[in-house]
Amino acid sequence: MTALGFDHIEALFLAPLAMIPFLRSVLRDTPIPSLLSAPADSLSALVANILKLSGVIAIGASLFGAAGPHIAGAEQERFAEGAQLVMLIDRSGSMNETFAGRTPSGGEESKAAAAKRILKRFVEARRHDLVGVAAFSTAPMLVTPITDHIDATQAAIDAIDRPGLDYTNIARGLAMALSMFKTSDADLSRAVLLISDGAGVIDPKLRDDLKAEFRKTNVSLYWLFLRTEGSRGIADRAAEDDESPQAAPERHLDLFFRSLGVPYRAFEVESAEATEEALKQIDRLERHPVLYVEKMPRTDLSAWAFALAFVATSLLVVAKLAQVGLGVEGRAR
Amino acid sequence: MRPDLRDPRLALLSLAMLSLIAAFLAPKIAVRRPSFDLLAVVDITGSMNVRDYSAGGRPISRLDAVKAALRALLAELPCPSHVGLGIFSERKTFLLFEPIDVCVDFAPLEASIEALDWRMAWEGDSRVSAGLFSAIDMARQLKSDLLFFTDGQEAPPLPARGAPTFDGRAGELRGLLVGVGGYELSPIPKFDDRGREIGFLGVEEVPHESRFGLPPEGAERREGYNARNAPFGAAAAVGVEHLSSVKEDYLRSLAEKTGLAYAHLEDGKRLWTDYAAVAAARMREAAFDLSPFFGAAAALFTFFAAAGPSLALALVQLRRAAPFNRHPQPGRSK
Repeated sequence: MTALGFDHIEALFLAPLAMIPFLRSVLRDTPIPSLLSAPADSLSALVANILKLSGVIAIGASLFGAAGPHIAGAEQERFAEGAQLVMLIDRSGSMNETFAGRTPSGGEESKAAAAKRILKRFVEARRHDLVGVAAFSTAPMLVTPITDHIDATQAAIDAIDRPGLDYTNIARGLAMALSMFKTSDADLSRAVLLISDGAGVIDPKLRDDLKAEFRKTNVSLYWLFLRTEGSRGIADRAAEDDESPQAAPERHLDLFFRSLGVPYRAFEVESAEATEEALKQIDRLERHPVLYVEKMPRTDLSAWAFALAFVATSLLVVAKLAQVGLGVEGRAR
Repeated sequence: MRPDLRDPRLALLSLAMLSLIAAFLAPKIAVRRPSFDLLAVVDITGSMNVRDYSAGGRPISRLDAVKAALRALLAELPCPSHVGLGIFSERKTFLLFEPIDVCVDFAPLEASIEALDWRMAWEGDSRVSAGLFSAIDMARQLKSDLLFFTDGQEAPPLPARGAPTFDGRAGELRGLLVGVGGYELSPIPKFDDRGREIGFLGVEEVPHESRFGLPPEGAERREGYNARNAPFGAAAAVGVEHLSSVKEDYLRSLAEKTGLAYAHLEDGKRLWTDYAAVAAARMREAAFDLSPFFGAAAALFTFFAAAGPSLALALVQLRRAAPFNRHPQPGRSK
């Protein structure tokens, strides 16, 4: 696209002024009884026309330059390595505790603060990703849409270590995350990155809906499980062979995710370092060619316009300096 | 004869050349321009679904009216203003994202505002004063102004002793408490647990009186009053809590307590003027390009170099032609 744009289109309203050199000359008038006394001279006519034209160009180009002309930067589609990601972040109250399950004190870092620091670095390192952020506690919340504006994503991640809300309702959160992908981008590499410190029981009524939705959108799933020390892990079975989802929600959520039929991996981490390591693995896994739009910087034309105006004005000045009168009677007015 | 260096036209042309050189060098000066940082917190509780605004002849909900006004406000804010977004439900303000640049990140900001939904509410309660106080705290941490949009409907109703006290410093934070909703009572839409609208809240579906704390004065005259067993009287209170209008008196009292200004939500333009009146402008440096002015000046210099003598002549002739000047009578002028 090579559209011409102006920053200050108002300057062009003065463009009619550029017509004045056709009517009036910058040169001094010389009183002479009759033009017929001078022979017709094609060279003089040429010079006169060049001077008129220079005047027009001098005024016109100055105004054109003043209007701030530029050619809009073209948008170029390029391939890079990356993915479309939705970060689905648990904002339940327990995220504000440390990995040891305590309220942070002194130099300790809460799970949310660790996630914030590491996710920000992750986003910073993957500049070609399109990232959206969703949060969930009891209800899902769309925070920022899938976007290439890293600042907006960073601002959303910045907010995740604030006091959280009530409970963990993963099913609704997942549904929200899936709804953020556009169906038109189905051929791109897309993933949901679920960051939570607990699991919940997924309502059996929602299970089938979720499964269908995952298959339809074909979004891969990464579950970053920030496990609190001493709590149940993904692999732990409940005591006494109690196989109900309520007794071991982490294990059953994992089983459910496995049954989705989309690429899925769980990372169980118990420290900030392990979280970082898990994100490095995800970083390696989610490297697919993605199409992204790079905006080329716009081309500023005003300098050319000013240069042209300068040349034209110089010509006028030269003509002015070269002008000589016909004699004593040729007095300047 | 040598060229006449005293000709004003030569001087004008030289000035034009100097202006063009200046324009070509594209000088920039740093100017300090005002911009604004604000945190917009939107009440997303049930009463915000009341459709008592209209757009294009169609009724729209209070929440939609807030979104439209916020979008219009974003467009008015000078660059590089920053806007953060939070939602209020239950008794807390929940920050969605910290303030981001309105001009650079307009698209995601607008999309996030568009995505605000009552379904994001994590609980059905609406303790407006508590939410407002937590929003004030949050805005202070973020060093931004606060725009708090609410209809002021406390659900459940406030206890008899009134709203909780504000323990911050009044007036420490600048901002607007924006009252949303019509002045007439309107029914509140009701939704089932799959989010489908199923009519309006009925009179028996909401509590009309808070039964926490001490009973209000005059309770002993109620039917069935018993100081120990039924301090609020025997009959359930019936009121108009299932209907909603903007609780302006209450919001004004909250605004006074916290030192915010109160404004009623009309449209984006009004919101901007109301906000601009109380906002804390932050002066930020911005580069200001002078070359357009030099370019325009060069054009005018060249124009007057060509047209100046004729214009001057025309002016002189005009004066001569004017009847008043032809027979000046200085003695008669006062």
